[in-house]
Amino acid sequence: MKNVDVLIIGGGSAGMAAAISAREQGISNVLILERANYLGGVLRQCIHNGFGIHKFKEDLTGIEYAQKYIDKILEMNIPYLTNTFVLNLSKDLTITSINSVNGLMDIQAKAIVLAMGCRERSRGALLIPGTRPAGVFTAGTAQRYLNLEGYLPGKKVVILGSGDIGLIMARQFTLEGAKVEAVVEIMPFSSGLARNISQCLNDFGIPISYNSTVVNIKGRKRVEAVTIADVDEHRIPISGTERDIICDTLLISAGLIPENELSKEAGIILSDRTKGAVVDDFLQTSIPGVFSCGNVLHVHDMVDHVSIESEIAGKNAALFVQGKLAATSFHDNISVIDGDGIMGTVPQYIHRHGNEEQIRLMFRPRKLYKNCYVCVDTGGQCILRKKRMVLTPGEMSEITINQDILANANDSIIIRVEV
Amino acid sequence: MWDVIIIGAGVVGCSAAKYLSQYKLSVLVLEKGSDVCSGASKGNSAMVHAGYDPDPGTKKAIYNILGNAMFDELCSELDVPFNRSGTMIFATSDEEMCEVNRLKELGDRNGVSGVRVLSQQELREKEPNMGKDVVGALYAPTGGIVCPYSLVIAMAENAAINGVEFKTFTEAVGFERLNDGWKVLTNNGDFETKLIFNCAGIHADKLNNMVSEDKFHITPRYGSHILLDREYIKYVDTTICQTPTPLLTGGHTKGMGIMPSVDGTVILGCDAEDYDDSDDVACTTRSLKKIVDYFNKVWRYLPIGNFADRFPMDGIINSYGGLRAHSDRDDFIIGEVLDAPGFINAAGIESPGLTAGPAIGSHLAQLAVKKLYAEKNEHYKPGRNALRPFRNMTKEEQSEAIRKNPDYGKIVCRCELVTEAEVRDAIHRPLGARTINAVKMRTRAGMGRCQGGFCSSRVLQILCEELNLDPLEVTQSGGDSYVLLEKACCSRCKEE
Repeated sequence: MKNVDVLIIGGGSAGMAAAISAREQGISNVLILERANYLGGVLRQCIHNGFGIHKFKEDLTGIEYAQKYIDKILEMNIPYLTNTFVLNLSKDLTITSINSVNGLMDIQAKAIVLAMGCRERSRGALLIPGTRPAGVFTAGTAQRYLNLEGYLPGKKVVILGSGDIGLIMARQFTLEGAKVEAVVEIMPFSSGLARNISQCLNDFGIPISYNSTVVNIKGRKRVEAVTIADVDEHRIPISGTERDIICDTLLISAGLIPENELSKEAGIILSDRTKGAVVDDFLQTSIPGVFSCGNVLHVHDMVDHVSIESEIAGKNAALFVQGKLAATSFHDNISVIDGDGIMGTVPQYIHRHGNEEQIRLMFRPRKLYKNCYVCVDTGGQCILRKKRMVLTPGEMSEITINQDILANANDSIIIRVEV
Repeated sequence: MWDVIIIGAGVVGCSAAKYLSQYKLSVLVLEKGSDVCSGASKGNSAMVHAGYDPDPGTKKAIYNILGNAMFDELCSELDVPFNRSGTMIFATSDEEMCEVNRLKELGDRNGVSGVRVLSQQELREKEPNMGKDVVGALYAPTGGIVCPYSLVIAMAENAAINGVEFKTFTEAVGFERLNDGWKVLTNNGDFETKLIFNCAGIHADKLNNMVSEDKFHITPRYGSHILLDREYIKYVDTTICQTPTPLLTGGHTKGMGIMPSVDGTVILGCDAEDYDDSDDVACTTRSLKKIVDYFNKVWRYLPIGNFADRFPMDGIINSYGGLRAHSDRDDFIIGEVLDAPGFINAAGIESPGLTAGPAIGSHLAQLAVKKLYAEKNEHYKPGRNALRPFRNMTKEEQSEAIRKNPDYGKIVCRCELVTEAEVRDAIHRPLGARTINAVKMRTRAGMGRCQGGFCSSRVLQILCEELNLDPLEVTQSGGDSYVLLEKACCSRCKEE
């Protein structure tokens, strides 16, 4: 059995940032396991810019952003194994991994950082009816074919969902000479960033149709058309509004799902709202010594936030190994409850006397709000109230709480939107 | 001249091919799809029926019982996942209990072994998590679940190893009578043969009606299913169906059920919808909604309802379906056509067709053996040479497998744990995979929760490497189902 102090599962933006931060905290025996044959995760197929503005005050492509971290990993000599797949994770912090060089490997870790990222919701999961031709891709798969393999998977494209990858791909397909016929969004608002609606659709004259969805896929061998229809307020297609759009490709950009299969098997408690692990402000999960960060914890819009969050997870994993992290279970802590208008918040628990002065609560609202307040209550008292011009489910929001105002907090605090 | 030409490479055609290959006969299988198992044998409930519901004396009853008894040996020979997990038909009212008792009587008359009625008390003991409103059940221990496409592909591979030839993309379009047999006209050349097996599924009526005055009609009947992710299998260890009543099933299916697939996912289904256009296979919103609504309604009766409080929409991996061949004679049509000697039908093979398939195939093979005075093929090799799936190995076996073949250490499909070794093997086996879907059917790469989102591009690369293809040539399911349309630089190059 191999022994590792801080083991990091996943070598994407989250895993790399966590590894660097654990090393900076003084842990030399760090190991990253990555299933792809390169570090960087999905950033490697992101040839567009817009990365790093918060973190580095620079406008970078995804590849450049990843390279900064890869360079750092190499410079700090942090060990990593690519083409290495983790088969299971158990409560006692052991994992089994495989690759073709080392074979089957059991590793005992003192702390583990989960950084497995997320996957895209598929056509199957969305139960989109119709035939089963070629030409139905998730946006990320199409991005991979185009940017990593160099092949255009479609020429006349309809995009279902207005997630960021779909919006980015709308622009890129257009730049590559394909025609994007429409973006179809079932909600009355986009689940993508406002800047992507503007830069990827509006600038290229690509129409987006809200309150509508794809109700049928036609074509025997390759997609020949999709049928779209308007939906009512319950998101049910309205009969009689169906119309066909001739196309050869349907891209799906309708949600990302944290890849928590390993976490589930290990018995880590997951949140129904974020679909990620329930964590405290150390980003520690229900299993002491296991931390979670990045898109496997909750789906982010911007990699900059992933990096910042993962640094916290990496640092705390290191502190855990060094015995410097207060060992308290969830119920000794203040629980964070999603109140009116809040879809899901991370972290779900806050230590009364944590190691950070300020705690960032990251959350998504349930719907679009304008000129509203984000409030934090405890024991019926509002202890924090911040004005927000816009809150949208497409953009993660945050509110920062100072430790001192939590001193007198009840067992729980409620975060809510006030209109 | 061939001894036997089999038209259709589904469960009946491929089992006939397998059993014929045990004799000194020249056999050709014609399949109009891009791969074997392209029709109803692919998209069904995967159930190996115990045999308590067909009317006694019908061919459905006879071949159901015969077929069911063959599965243990057949699946073990071919290394195909099969689980005799039992079937339970539960009742929530006295009325339904009457139906349960009627099925028990049918089961006895059909000769189903071990079928019995469980009282509420007995049911509690057997399945403690069943909803409290359930008053009793029929239990058939011989009911099982198989992986249908693995079975069909395995039988075809075994036949191919033993000399049977397969031609895909080959559609029978006409027949000419010869003195000593038939000429089969296809889009891919004409073939002469002594005997024809018509195993053409939903198209079998057209073929029969070309050669015989004894005409019948087949209605393609679409059945939809929904698949749930692996985390739900632990709550489903036996097939559970509600007692079929005309109200719930529209008079078409045997009742919807929840089934533990042999691959660790959960199958829900199926409904039934009749189609006019027999190639237009498509799940409809209506049929999928029907399944979801149905299970929402009965969820509280099911053991899984104790663990997940409502139907888990988030747990859905995919939906799928297939066209069942429902004949207007309402029974299997099996045997030589009186006014067309040498033309042998296996038509109208709807449920329990998957169960009955091996028995029907074996019966057809015996007909040919008698007619052609065929001798045993002493070189016949049972089984096939498929690599063992990595996910089914113990830890020690996995470790050993990687040591011997490093490709076992490379995961291609993370959701279903399929390794590069298995993908390459699927391409190189007899009747090897040529398309993304063919790899999927042979290895499960792309069948899991991400539905190929991560692995399809890697599968495409491996197909290119192994078959020396350009990525633009790779298809999802043969024909014009190209995955990629052009080199990304093309439009810009053209402008320059």
